[in-house]
Amino acid sequence: MSTVPVEPLLHHSPLRRTSLNGARGFLPSSLNLRCHFTSKKLHSIGRSIASGNSLGYLSSERRRSVAIRASSSDTALVETTSQSDDVIFKETFPVQRIDKAEGKIYVRLKQVKENNWQLSVGCSLPGKWILHWGVSYVGDTGSEWDQPPEDMRPPGSVAIKDYAIETPLEKLSEGDSFHEVPINLNLESSVAALNFVLKDEETGAWYQHKGRDFKVPLLDDVPDDGNLIGSKKGFGAIGKLSNIVVKPDESGADVQEKGKSSSGSTKERKGLEEFYEEMPISKHVADDNSVSVTARKCPETSKNIVSIETDLPGDVTVHWGVCKNGSKKWELPAEPYPQETSLFKNKALRTRLQRKDNGDGSFGLFSLDGKLEGLCFVLKLNENTWLNNRGEDFYVPFLTSTSLPVEPEAAQLSEKTPKTNQEVSESGFTDEIITEIRNLAIDISSHKSQKSNVKEVQINILQEIEKLAAEAYSIFRSTTPTFTPESVLEAEVEEPEIKISSGTGSGFEILCQGFNWESHKSGRWYQELQEKADELASLGFTVLWLPPPTESVSPEGYMPKDLYNLNSRYGTVDELKETVRRFHKVGIKVLGDAVLNHRCAHFKNSNGVWNLFGGRLNWDDRAVVADDPHFQGRGNKSSGDNFHAAPNIDHSQDFVRKDIKEWLCWMRKEVGYDGWRLDFVRGFWGGYVKDYMDASKPYFAVGEYWDSLSYTYGEMDYNQDAHRQRIVDWINATSGAAGAFDVTTKGILHTALQKCEYWRLSDPQGKPPGVVGWWPSRAVTFIENHDTGSTQGHWRFPGGKEMQGYAYILTHPGTPAVFFDHVYSDYRSEIASLLSLRNRQKLHCRSEVNIVKSERDVYAAIIDEKVAMKIGPGHYEPPSGSQNWSVAVEGRDYKVWETS
Amino acid sequence: MEVSVIGNPQTKKIYRAELTYRELGFRFGSQVISGDSRNRVSFLTHQSSKWKEIKIQSSPRSVRCEAIVSDQAPFLKPTPNSRSLESVKLFVGLPLDTISDCNNVNHLKAITAGLKALKLLGVEGIELPIFWGVVEKEAPGKYEWSGYLAVAEIVKKVGLKLHASLSFHGSKHPEISLPVWVAKIGEAEQGIYFTDRYGKQYKDCLSFAVDDVPVLDGKTPMEVYRGFCESFKSAFSDYLGNTITGITLGLGPDGELRYPSHQHETNLSGAGEFQCYDKHMLSALKHYAESTGNPLWGLGGPHDAPAYDQQPCSTSFFSDGGSWESQYGDFFLTWYSSLLTSHADRVLSVASSAFKGTGVSLCGKLPLLHQWNKLRSQPSELTAGFYSSGGHDRYEAIAEIFAKNSCRMIIPGMDLSDEHQSPASLSSPESLLAHIKTSCKRQGVVVSGQNSAASVLGGFERIVENLKDESVGVDLFTYQRMGAVFFSPEHFHAFTVFVRNMNQFELSSYDQAVEGDKAKTMSIGSGTTGAASLQTA
Repeated sequence: MSTVPVEPLLHHSPLRRTSLNGARGFLPSSLNLRCHFTSKKLHSIGRSIASGNSLGYLSSERRRSVAIRASSSDTALVETTSQSDDVIFKETFPVQRIDKAEGKIYVRLKQVKENNWQLSVGCSLPGKWILHWGVSYVGDTGSEWDQPPEDMRPPGSVAIKDYAIETPLEKLSEGDSFHEVPINLNLESSVAALNFVLKDEETGAWYQHKGRDFKVPLLDDVPDDGNLIGSKKGFGAIGKLSNIVVKPDESGADVQEKGKSSSGSTKERKGLEEFYEEMPISKHVADDNSVSVTARKCPETSKNIVSIETDLPGDVTVHWGVCKNGSKKWELPAEPYPQETSLFKNKALRTRLQRKDNGDGSFGLFSLDGKLEGLCFVLKLNENTWLNNRGEDFYVPFLTSTSLPVEPEAAQLSEKTPKTNQEVSESGFTDEIITEIRNLAIDISSHKSQKSNVKEVQINILQEIEKLAAEAYSIFRSTTPTFTPESVLEAEVEEPEIKISSGTGSGFEILCQGFNWESHKSGRWYQELQEKADELASLGFTVLWLPPPTESVSPEGYMPKDLYNLNSRYGTVDELKETVRRFHKVGIKVLGDAVLNHRCAHFKNSNGVWNLFGGRLNWDDRAVVADDPHFQGRGNKSSGDNFHAAPNIDHSQDFVRKDIKEWLCWMRKEVGYDGWRLDFVRGFWGGYVKDYMDASKPYFAVGEYWDSLSYTYGEMDYNQDAHRQRIVDWINATSGAAGAFDVTTKGILHTALQKCEYWRLSDPQGKPPGVVGWWPSRAVTFIENHDTGSTQGHWRFPGGKEMQGYAYILTHPGTPAVFFDHVYSDYRSEIASLLSLRNRQKLHCRSEVNIVKSERDVYAAIIDEKVAMKIGPGHYEPPSGSQNWSVAVEGRDYKVWETS
Repeated sequence: MEVSVIGNPQTKKIYRAELTYRELGFRFGSQVISGDSRNRVSFLTHQSSKWKEIKIQSSPRSVRCEAIVSDQAPFLKPTPNSRSLESVKLFVGLPLDTISDCNNVNHLKAITAGLKALKLLGVEGIELPIFWGVVEKEAPGKYEWSGYLAVAEIVKKVGLKLHASLSFHGSKHPEISLPVWVAKIGEAEQGIYFTDRYGKQYKDCLSFAVDDVPVLDGKTPMEVYRGFCESFKSAFSDYLGNTITGITLGLGPDGELRYPSHQHETNLSGAGEFQCYDKHMLSALKHYAESTGNPLWGLGGPHDAPAYDQQPCSTSFFSDGGSWESQYGDFFLTWYSSLLTSHADRVLSVASSAFKGTGVSLCGKLPLLHQWNKLRSQPSELTAGFYSSGGHDRYEAIAEIFAKNSCRMIIPGMDLSDEHQSPASLSSPESLLAHIKTSCKRQGVVVSGQNSAASVLGGFERIVENLKDESVGVDLFTYQRMGAVFFSPEHFHAFTVFVRNMNQFELSSYDQAVEGDKAKTMSIGSGTTGAASLQTA
């Protein structure tokens, strides 16, 4: 069950990317009319949402095709008045339901009188329709457009650059949704054809014909690319279209000209004929509805009576649970349940609301025990359509006897990890996965699909298998450690935590990595940094990541020895404390680099192996994992990967964890660190990290989970879901207590920028392809660090393209991290501008990104509807519309705009 | 004769034309790898930079042609005598501790996810070990099936088949013991467990000698087993024959038909010891000795057998020309092995009468005692109870029992290859496996395979070789066992490749399932001429 608010208007079919040859056969047919547009030639990215079971919408993607959006705006009516004592909560949530409206586009050519022909383009759906058009002249080759001659332009037309004009469609009559624009053709001119696309200003959607511009030929010999309308050849195109996969049961699936009623009267102009053609289109229309919730306390029965009322049409099911004991977990209330209630997977109840007598919406009453603290619910309209409250569950708090007025706003907006929804939805849909895949396969086979599809399905199935196996693995493995009773662990895995998560900052953080691989060399790095505090603060950074502070065998600090000795090559413990104080003064939080995976030993054991520790944490070889033969540990097997240069710490040992927690708390208190950057977290189970985060309560924490992306024959795969899944799995294992560096995004940027393959920057769902596309609030985006770049250069960002990388991460959701070397480089002023833009426009880790272009040579996105950006050599301009865009930052192959 | 081409449309197109051509002579412009008596032809063709393996397999009734595109099948090399793997049903074992002794399903969530993954992967079914000590834990005749029923339900929902292993033994890792009430009897009354010459009891399995002795509250173990089987049958009646397609009877220690010759020793450096020193065994031996006219031979086991940690030939019993070849040896070993054979017969007849008409196939498992089998005496087999007088086939009698009870034989160790054995152990799992298979074939016993559960997972290369082996068609293979290691990325990936190699078309075979698409089956002629022409190719 998903409650994801959705924006599926601009999907990118995965087929497009993966099977160039096979793509043609799979262009969804019914409304292949949508596209983004900016350049002279329309790029045919049109595709359909209606084909919900086309390949792109396998399993997990499916829930993204839910065309519904619920929101609770600031205008939400909130009353917690005392005028009626028994009402303890009352609120009306506006919800927006997106309906698919179907209609048609029609094109009519008719002869008004001799030598006076008129072309009309119309649309039957409501909207703010604009005809975006141009002409081809005789002798033009290629598909370029030209401005039409002046006398052909209807009044109200606006010229767009030098190749097109835009003319709004006028309503035919009041109260009618038909819109139309007539164009008088100048047959004396040498216009050979008219090209157009239709644009809906309200939604910004573009409508094309069969993936191309509409083209009305005015001469016989206009080359037919299959997109002609009204020509004889156009009719012949029917045969050509037959290879388009058509879902048989879809109404109006035929793109082919339906009500063809050409008069057939041949006239002058080399056989120009009157014609009339229609093409079906659909559009998503938002319907505003509302949900009113009232909770009353019934003094007689000391029960809370909650009434939920809505004007949503159709059957509405409330999927609900109750909260008790201060947690916002969904729990089942005691029976009896209201009428028409069923139990869902022992996790929630489903109650169908009763239809109101007047047929206008439905309502339901829930009588709940007075001791409960609240009611959570989401609404289900049908199998795929769920409504929630701005991405969160609806929450109805019940007052306790103190009868204090709650702050409903806070209650309802209180931070919940996105995981909640995700988890809930996860279980809902994985159960159906098998059936679904089967359906899909049936669907496919009925299409007599080509091999590439079968392969695609197989790949998808394999991915699902991998996901399931990973789940099984993590549970089997997590139940192996003996330190906690199994049931507790199971519970942890199962119950999504709903709590205010620490460890992720305010959401507006911008990190600066305050060192590079050489920083230890001066011996006084802490002091050098202190001098830069004001500067870094004025640049707009909010968090600084300091190098590992402990005594270390290697000078850079990543081979820690005595954890309580904070004198390092970067400076003394006092200098460290002073540095932290200094940065706090300028408002910058400070992260400590905690190396928890391994620790260098002080002494050898009887076999001459270094595995005995000294200092305050004088662990013996029981603290060392058993599966690295080099160090002959007596602990348990490692819960993660091994780092072979030093003894890996066995976090499954109680005493080890106790000591580490103590150490982290000590560092928080003694040094003043606000949070952690966790080194090599692949080395141990994320659940232990959760334990550590819970104990040390960092303001911000980020883990380094770095493994390889997936490549096929040396070429990076487009789909890096498995890679980001591993990172997300780790974050999940920490229960979201820490974020993780978005290695996926860095990797994809590498290839996209280096090879000019900007299409990689949109995943099949039209989201960013990295961790940031899945769990933005836990993704720490970066393009370089002390390992990948600096003097090590293990995985250096493509040279000269760094600013494109920063233009991406500093405008996008996620928490961006800027590498020290880049701050103090020629890029400094450009980075500074981007930083100030991010702060000025208040972009944050959960900002909404709308990818408007991801093509070979250009990627463009609009973030929170107030910042537009493009990277790549290709052209992009933000849409000229109601918003006024002005260029904010500009540099080599990138450009960022903001609304003023 | 019918030729059906199964595959996705594209490959089909490619090969259809070639197939017609093939009828004339099966020359493919490339090499013909084999064409043997069972009408199977495999050939390789190099096409558009991708290796594709095509196999044509035919029998007098039908000819099947599969186009197998193997992108990354490192070990799927066509070998002579290779047969299609598609006919092999693959099962995967659930963890031994799937059900806790309090009848809870352990790792429920993991198992559910795991089963789904396996289903999607195309695995046929699941093996579920059901322990006597869990179900009939507290009191005789008091059965608690709830945990196992829950698992059966999950398996059914996921759409997998279930193979139940009724285990009348206990286990050390994880620790699952015999029923509490049985253990109590064992405390009170000496002699119901196998015992070695030092008097040490093996408490995870009842001695074969008490099979028909009413030691369990007035009932014989066989009667108790029968009750267990009957109870299982009624508890799982909804599943029998549809979800549950097979039942394996526990025949001894770890479910295998053998003496616990190593007891719980993990060090297998020796050949094990004879386990004939419990009260009932000794009295049976005495009786047997007297009846054969050698009363002195019935006083105990062989005195010159090596100890657990001794090399087999360090004493005279197993040496060439040693006691095992003497008259005494023949006397003792014949008796010792006859108990094993009769135990198998008893259990299997109990089961076959209990499960008659349920539509499930019965199985019993043998051990693969490959240690030391290059020694002439094959001492590991002798201590475990496999012997035949006069150098005859030691597995013949057992196979006969299986055949008599229409029981399939599970042979483990299909993942073991000779080259991985330490030379010092003088071991050849491959030849022993071949030997047992031959015995089964001779008796008409169907063989199912397993990997050696005790060892590390993997060995897929060898498994595939075994499954493709023509001489005895293994039609069911159970891979042991699910758990953390099984699903670990390192292992699971290899397993995925293995399964995909076995079921090339499992994932795309939905085409067949839903279609009535005639184009996919193509008939060329009929009658035997077609087969003949294939044969002669």
